[in-house]
Order: sequence, then C-alpha cells, then structure tokens
Amino acid sequence: MYAQEMKDHSFENGKKIYQQTCVSCHGKSGSTNPYMELVVKPRKLSKTILTQEQSFQITKEGAHFWGAHSDLMPSFKSVFSDAEIKDVAYYIAKAFNPDREQKIEKLLSESDSISQENQSKMLKTGEKIFNRNCSMCHGMSGNGQSEYVEQSKAQKNFIYPYDLRRTLLTEEQIFLYAKYGGKYWGTMKDDMPSWKKKYDDFTLKSVAKYVNEKIKTVK
Amino acid sequence: MKKIIVAGLILSSALFGANHVIDQKGKTFIPHAVSVAVGDTLTFKNSDPFAHNAYTDNEANEFDIGMQAPGKDVVAKVKAAGVFNVECAIHPNMLLEVTAN
Repeated sequence: MYAQEMKDHSFENGKKIYQQTCVSCHGKSGSTNPYMELVVKPRKLSKTILTQEQSFQITKEGAHFWGAHSDLMPSFKSVFSDAEIKDVAYYIAKAFNPDREQKIEKLLSESDSISQENQSKMLKTGEKIFNRNCSMCHGMSGNGQSEYVEQSKAQKNFIYPYDLRRTLLTEEQIFLYAKYGGKYWGTMKDDMPSWKKKYDDFTLKSVAKYVNEKIKTVK
Repeated sequence: MKKIIVAGLILSSALFGANHVIDQKGKTFIPHAVSVAVGDTLTFKNSDPFAHNAYTDNEANEFDIGMQAPGKDVVAKVKAAGVFNVECAIHPNMLLEVTAN
C-alpha cells in the first residue's frame, strides 16, 4: 500500500514538474513542442531508448555531460532535488513510453545471436567498421570531432555527433541505436542514420562492443 | 578533319581510358550503376550541400577518396575487370555498382 502511494506521488509530482518545466521543449505528450522543433530540436521522449535511470542522469547532469555537443538540454541539478528529478523520470517512463522495455526486448530477441566462434572476432570487426564509418562523424577517438563536422559548419548544415566516450548507453542500446538510427529513437533529424540495410547484426553488435569496451570511458 | 578528330578521340580513349562522371546528389549515386573499361576513370562529383565519401573494398580496385567537400570533384581509376560496389562511408544507403570489362 505504501509503495503504491509512493508511485502515485512520484507520478503526480513528476507530472507537475514536467508540465511546468519540460513541456516547453518536449511538449505535453513527450512528442516535442512543434514550435521548438524549429529551434532546438528536442528529443521525442515517447520514442526514447533511455531507461528511467538514464533519463534521471540526463536530466540531472544535462545532455552535454553525457556526450551531447551542446547544452540545450541543461542540467537541472541546481533546480530540483534528486528525488524530484527521479519523479520526472518516472513520469516520462510511465506516461509516454510504458512499452519501452518490451519493445527493446522484442528487438533484441529478433536480432541474430552471435556464435561462440564469432565472438572472438567482434572487437576486430567493430574496430574496422568504426574506423571506416563511425569515425567519419564521431572521430577516430569517438570524441564527436571530425573533418565532416568541420565541413558541416562551413556549409551551415550543422551536425552534432555525440562524444561517444561519454555516452551512457549500454552495449545493447548502442547496437539498437546504430541498427535503427536516431530518428527511430526520437531525434528530430536523421543525422545518425539506420545502418541495418548495410550491415548485419553481427557487424553492428561488433561495433557496439567496440564502442562500449574501447571508446567509452564512462562506465 | 572530322575523321582525324574522331580517330584521335578513340586513340586517346584507348590510351588513357574514358572518364565517367558519377554525381552524388540527394544521398544517391547518379547513375547507380555504370559499365566501364579497365583503365577508365570515375569522377565523383558532390552536388549535395554536405560532404560525401566513396570507397570500395574490392581488392583489385581498392580505393577510398576520403572526405569529399561539397562542389569538389575526385577521380578514381578502375584498375581491374570485375563487378564491384562503391559505397559512401557516411551515408549507408548509397550504392554504386561498377561493371569493369
């Protein structure tokens, strides 16, 4: 009974804070405020790949801390307590994306599993593909800096690749993000494209493993 | 005179190879398939407002033009016969099929 009351409280409190603060960018239903789409391109929270805990971390520290190029999604730790931010994360998860876990489990269960024999080849394959494809935008070290990014600035066609060293995505999330692309998971632009037509699951899981083990520094 | 010019063009083509222009526009190679002769060149144009790349892993014809800025042309040479794919390392849906005779 007490636990249920706590959940109700979290939901209502999270909703209240969300509607006072987050709604201006992310919109009432978590599918973004259409006016802000033209300016800051907020994430569609109804499609997020993030867990409740990860939403809490992003809201607390701000997206820049976790590898985003800009601080358009600012840190709220000086505005709200941890408990309040957790309430917001709880509200976002329950109100906008209640089927997230099942969706991710389904996508993972439908992906090819990696044979014992192929597991030893994953890091080498991941490194090759990362250097060939991912590094064009994310840079060889994964820091989000590359010649392509500089050229995009010169052409005023800006792209903002993540600093993958600081991503809080798990290996499985990185695989799903690369496979289906950013738009599938709620970004406004398709700067991070879907790679599923080009590469098989083994290759994309290898890239995810490489990023998780060799690029990412925040564990 | 015309015969001399035509003969000259045929001779220079045989000696130096023909050039085939491949445009990169709307994240697509145009045309998306091309038949060439060994020794011909592929000139990659970039008509998009963002950078592109073109590479092949085909062992006999391996090349990678690197980062190609908008408006810039880059030339690659076809070195061996066979059918091979050219891709863009940045945009995964771009595919060019080259048939080299």
